[in-house]
Amino acid sequence: MFSEFFFKEVGTALKRPMIYIFFFIVALLVFFAVISDNVVIGGTVGNVYKNAPTVVATFVAILTIFGLLFATAFFNNAALRDHKYGFNEILFSAPINKSGYFFGRFMGAWLLSTLVMTGVYFAVTLGSIMGPAFGWIGAERIGPIPIQSYISTYFIFVLPNMFIAGAIIFALATQFKNTIISFVGTLLIIIGYIASGSLLSDIDNEFIAALSDVFGIRAYTLDIKYFTPLERNTIAPSFSGYILWNRLLWMGVGTVILIASYFSFSFANKNKKVKKEKKSKDSSINQMLTKPDISLSNSGNTWAHFSSFFRISFLSIFKSNVFIILLLFSVILLVVGLLGGFEYFGLQSYPVTYKLIDEIGGISTLLIIIVIVFFSGELVWRDRDSHINEVVDGTPHHSAVSLFAKTLSLIAIASIMHLFLIGISMIYQALNGYTNFEIGVYLTSFFYEGLLFYAIWAGLMIFVQVLVNQKYIGYFVSIMVIFALDIILLILKIESNMLSIGSTPSIRYSDMNGFGPGVLGMQWFSIYWLLLAVVGILFAGLIWPRGTNNLLKNRFTTGKKTLGKSYTGALGFFSIAWLAVAAFVYYNTQILNPYKTSKQQELMQVDYEKRYKQYENITLPKIIDATYYIDIFPNKRDAYLKADLVLKNKSNEAIKELHFTVDKDLKHEISIPNASLDSFDEELGYQIYTLQQPMQPSDSIAITVKATQETKGFENRRPNTNVIKNGTFFNNLSVLPTMGYAKNYEIGDKNKRRKYDLPERERMPELQETCSQLCMTNYLTDGAADWVNVETYISTSDDQIAIAPGSLISEKTENGRRQYHYKVDHPSQNFYSFISADYEVATRKWNGVDLEVYYHEGHEYNIERMLDAIQKSLEYYTTNFGPYYHKQARIIEFPRYSNFAQAFPGTMPYSESFGFIINLEGENKNNVIDAVIAHEMAHQYWAHQVIGAEMQGSTMLSESFAEYSSLMVMKQETDAMQMKDFLKYDMNRYLRGRSSEVDEEQPLHKVENQTHIHYGKGSIILYALQDYIGEEKVNNALKGFLAEYAYEEPPYPTSNDFMRYLEPQVPDSLKYLIDDWFKDITLYDLRMDEATFSKTGDGYTAKVEVIANKNKVDGEGNVSDVSISDWIDIGFYSDRAAENLMFNERVYIDKSPAIFEFQLDSIPAKAAIDPYRLLIDRVSKDNTKTVSEE
Amino acid sequence: MKLTISNLCKTYPNGVKALDNVNLELSNGMFGLLGPNGAGKSSLMRTLATLQEADSGSAILGDIDILNEPKKVRATLGYLPQEFGVYPKISASQLLDHLAILKGVRNKGERKDLVNYLLQKVNLTDHKDKSVKGFSGGMKQRVGIAQALIGDPKLIIVDEPTAGLDPGERNRFHNLLAEVGEEVIVILSTHIVDDVRELCNNMAIMNLGKIVFNGQPEDALQELNGQVWRKTIDRSEKEVYKTNYNVISDKMVAGKPQIHILSNTNPGDGFVEVPPNLEDVFFTKIH
Repeated sequence: MFSEFFFKEVGTALKRPMIYIFFFIVALLVFFAVISDNVVIGGTVGNVYKNAPTVVATFVAILTIFGLLFATAFFNNAALRDHKYGFNEILFSAPINKSGYFFGRFMGAWLLSTLVMTGVYFAVTLGSIMGPAFGWIGAERIGPIPIQSYISTYFIFVLPNMFIAGAIIFALATQFKNTIISFVGTLLIIIGYIASGSLLSDIDNEFIAALSDVFGIRAYTLDIKYFTPLERNTIAPSFSGYILWNRLLWMGVGTVILIASYFSFSFANKNKKVKKEKKSKDSSINQMLTKPDISLSNSGNTWAHFSSFFRISFLSIFKSNVFIILLLFSVILLVVGLLGGFEYFGLQSYPVTYKLIDEIGGISTLLIIIVIVFFSGELVWRDRDSHINEVVDGTPHHSAVSLFAKTLSLIAIASIMHLFLIGISMIYQALNGYTNFEIGVYLTSFFYEGLLFYAIWAGLMIFVQVLVNQKYIGYFVSIMVIFALDIILLILKIESNMLSIGSTPSIRYSDMNGFGPGVLGMQWFSIYWLLLAVVGILFAGLIWPRGTNNLLKNRFTTGKKTLGKSYTGALGFFSIAWLAVAAFVYYNTQILNPYKTSKQQELMQVDYEKRYKQYENITLPKIIDATYYIDIFPNKRDAYLKADLVLKNKSNEAIKELHFTVDKDLKHEISIPNASLDSFDEELGYQIYTLQQPMQPSDSIAITVKATQETKGFENRRPNTNVIKNGTFFNNLSVLPTMGYAKNYEIGDKNKRRKYDLPERERMPELQETCSQLCMTNYLTDGAADWVNVETYISTSDDQIAIAPGSLISEKTENGRRQYHYKVDHPSQNFYSFISADYEVATRKWNGVDLEVYYHEGHEYNIERMLDAIQKSLEYYTTNFGPYYHKQARIIEFPRYSNFAQAFPGTMPYSESFGFIINLEGENKNNVIDAVIAHEMAHQYWAHQVIGAEMQGSTMLSESFAEYSSLMVMKQETDAMQMKDFLKYDMNRYLRGRSSEVDEEQPLHKVENQTHIHYGKGSIILYALQDYIGEEKVNNALKGFLAEYAYEEPPYPTSNDFMRYLEPQVPDSLKYLIDDWFKDITLYDLRMDEATFSKTGDGYTAKVEVIANKNKVDGEGNVSDVSISDWIDIGFYSDRAAENLMFNERVYIDKSPAIFEFQLDSIPAKAAIDPYRLLIDRVSKDNTKTVSEE
Repeated sequence: MKLTISNLCKTYPNGVKALDNVNLELSNGMFGLLGPNGAGKSSLMRTLATLQEADSGSAILGDIDILNEPKKVRATLGYLPQEFGVYPKISASQLLDHLAILKGVRNKGERKDLVNYLLQKVNLTDHKDKSVKGFSGGMKQRVGIAQALIGDPKLIIVDEPTAGLDPGERNRFHNLLAEVGEEVIVILSTHIVDDVRELCNNMAIMNLGKIVFNGQPEDALQELNGQVWRKTIDRSEKEVYKTNYNVISDKMVAGKPQIHILSNTNPGDGFVEVPPNLEDVFFTKIH
């Protein structure tokens, strides 16, 4: 009996197209993900093969989410087929056995659902073979076909996920016998998955997040998060780690649900609720009505028709279950998102309006598009589906009127959803005590990013449905128009928004700069698309299948008959208007503001490198003195810059030529006295000037450079955000021409380089023992300058403050312009910013230094704390490192188009999106805001006083030291446990970062500007070092190093030079740390294996057995064991939460396992090895163990 | 008011001739259109209701060219299609209100009175605020009838209106139609012969796209007078009779087949002469 039902279920499905369509969709997605870099599922990076076992697992895991929709169809079918066709009564009266029927059907649907997912394996195999064979992808990107991963992922993800989801859907289907409820079940499962994701945003909840995820995706992600590329390429998933627990849990849940639904399932028909139909009362009771006189109007009914169509269409959507489900779904998504808050390194951001707008935007674009696509089909087909089309078509209305009304009802529905989400957002703000309700901002954002968008899509989707005139094919075409078209454009490398339906330049709200420079372009593009949508509907009105005319030709002839003059006129008018706007948009985006597609950009980069790489090492003079004249016109978004530069030949040879790479967009003009422009590659911007008189060593010349940034019309993309209405912010490197060959123009991605036959890019020069010519340039300014005197004359509109580096010499307002004159107090790095915005200023004087915070009105929350942070940093640094040479330390807020803080001499621009709006109320502990400020302040020493040579290890001297300095500032006010809490982010950053390493990993002293090493690992190691050898010793090393190199002319120092200062500070017993931590990649595997205590005398004796292994890893990730002979902390917590460390001792461990005994005063709750997490250990949770009584 | 249909032809893309040179002239009053399924009745009705294009021919209603001035026809048309469905979650009065607006009843008060009046006419006053989707087939059909009467149409076309109605509803419907049918043209398409007999002064019978009879029911009956004979036979004999006589119909009466044959002379053999009814006319014409 079982096998009959089972094989029937499978056999029937295999004869139908559905399963093949699903299989095809899955396979197609995966195939492109394998052979192309443009399609990404789950993301693969760097050295990981496109078909690596872990990548296959990610494909499978992520596609099971989509697979769920397919599975719903199979399970729902299996459960409801007999009911749907009214066959149940016949079937269930036959002598069939319940278990055979129930499980036969279930297992059949289960197998079918998993068959669809095998499309992944099919596609990976095919892609692995075809990709390299046809040259779509480099052979080195493809590993061996991961058969093992196929098998393991099938059993780990596919079978269990389909089982769990299937059990739920099958239970719902047999219980409620309603397809909609089954799909709601599916939605709930997906919501559950998303909800568990919000738990993951706080890394302390890892285990819960791993367990709570129905699909096991996050469990797996967590399991492999610290995998190196090598491990990712070789290790297939297995039932272990989080995955094991997750699978056990959910398979159990699935089994329980299945068994429960089996026992509640019965063949007998559920008593159908029979609605009692009221006997219609004899209407003779009522007074007989007489036929009323009515007046009919034959013309001018358009508006009445329109509003009636609108009302009836709107109501039918508004009352539909699907709408209600989707509305609830979007609300749940928003609420789940908001419940997580706006967390940032353990702090909460104020719920400022733009954060909520972003949150709404993420939900609305996806869900509302689904609503529009779905209901466009419903509305267009509603009359026919309800069999009322002939009646409606037989009334004297114009088809276009009904279509416009339907479109408007879609727009209204979408708007209601959007406004509803806004309402919830405002409630959320209110509940969080944030009362600055910016209703205007919400509404403007709704208008720009919601309404216009919905109107465009509603019109176009209605048009598509009418044109196609087949509901489901219509849906297919709609989805194609939304997604496939963009993929095609991507493949064809076309980037014009004019061809990507509904696309406009992006806008982004910033408290400082409003909706920003993209608005104008967005508006014009919106008009362009809206007009197209109107033309589309007018045309749809013409070909509307009125009556029973289904052939397009007939529809057209029928439509033409109702064409009045006004209709033709309207069609003509809107078509011409659309063409006119199209021409205007084209003129603005292609002619006035031409742009390079990324493909063209790439080709230029290739050309540039091939032609001019030869000049990379020519000798050029260096800037020693710079005077800037800058005029900023914020309202016009224009800026004009002139720079007088003094160049000096610091080399030993004569210089005959000056080379520059200029930027066409900035209209660079260079004038050099007594020189001729010998060669100018207009396209690539390479210029070579020959000097009439060669510059002899130590000679100087003065040159002038001009740059112009002018805004004309609007662009295809959001224009650059350097010069804007409020919050202009640019640095000198971005506006001046590059001297000589600009190495940073080279294509960095190694796969792209291979594609264009470029040699592998040279890595950063190797760290050298004795420094040669390489030490003559630093890594920041690329040889263009050493220390420069900078003076700036900068003007802006009279409502703004303009800021340049150095002390303010003078300020005046003239003719509506504010003019400032700044001058640096000490020659500085040739790296500084120019800023203009409408600022509030907070100041404080400290030891002759002006501490200043320039901030946007309304962002005053943390200003005092920021001043405190600057002051604390300066106090620590001047005491421990050396003098501060500037007379000011400025923090300057800039709009959120970027999200960073950066240090320039004496100034630190700091993005509005963090720091300024983080809620620090009641935060007495260290926090990331203070930390970032301390970090940037530290850069005033580490980068702006001493800077490493252009060589491996140099960023350790700036970034790692800045991190260390910042940690030391924080450490003054907090205890070690809180520091550990803070350092976990660094540990995570390093371990995660190394798992997606693009090139081979380097040890700290040879770091090649990789952030996870110089920030993440650098923090941990330097922090641990001061814990091992003492803060003062580390500071002594830094102080000595700084004293030797601060503001010194080249040669610049290398990390070896710092090691010279560090080594004497390290006691012999700990000398091994220098190799282990700085010169090698060392990982520890520490475990608390056994921990017991017993009462002895007055106190307690605790006995622990620890495992301590030390591994060295080479650049590729190969691990080798080395013998342990290290000093490691062992500690005891008095509480189970492991927060209160009651005892800690650093012990010498030279074997593993090793046993230790400690005398304690009170009963320990937990024992830990390395309780402060000073050592890099990939698995930390086994470091702690509950202590049991012997 | 006159409706003149001349040489109307329509061939579907699959080659089926739905209308084959149809000529009819109708004036005020009820006009019955009889025909078996697939005869082309619905095609004719749809064409008159401006829902379908004809290949050739013309149809003139008063001074309106139906085939080329659809908008004018629609303004004066009441149409109840064979399949009348309703929107989900929309009540009877909402639906009628919507259709009244579409037909040009702009005044809100008038519309309300009209809707109430029509609902009472079709005996749905008690259900006017309920979703029509939950109505029984008969109730839905009554809503359909009500909507066809909105706006005093000059031409009312009803396609199979009484299918699904119980006898009481059917009577009420007939009365309603007869009431309005005095002043306007009502075309009643049906395959229920009794409907025509009870209501229509004029009728046509269609088969395979052609008009096979057009005239008054009495004329049709007259034609067959004295030619229809009836006999109750055994089931096994059916084939024999079919080969020997011109059998125009057979139906079961009290469990036994009763056949009608057409014969100019007395066939004997136990046949008795019966006065012809419209059913006999119908079957004679379409065979």
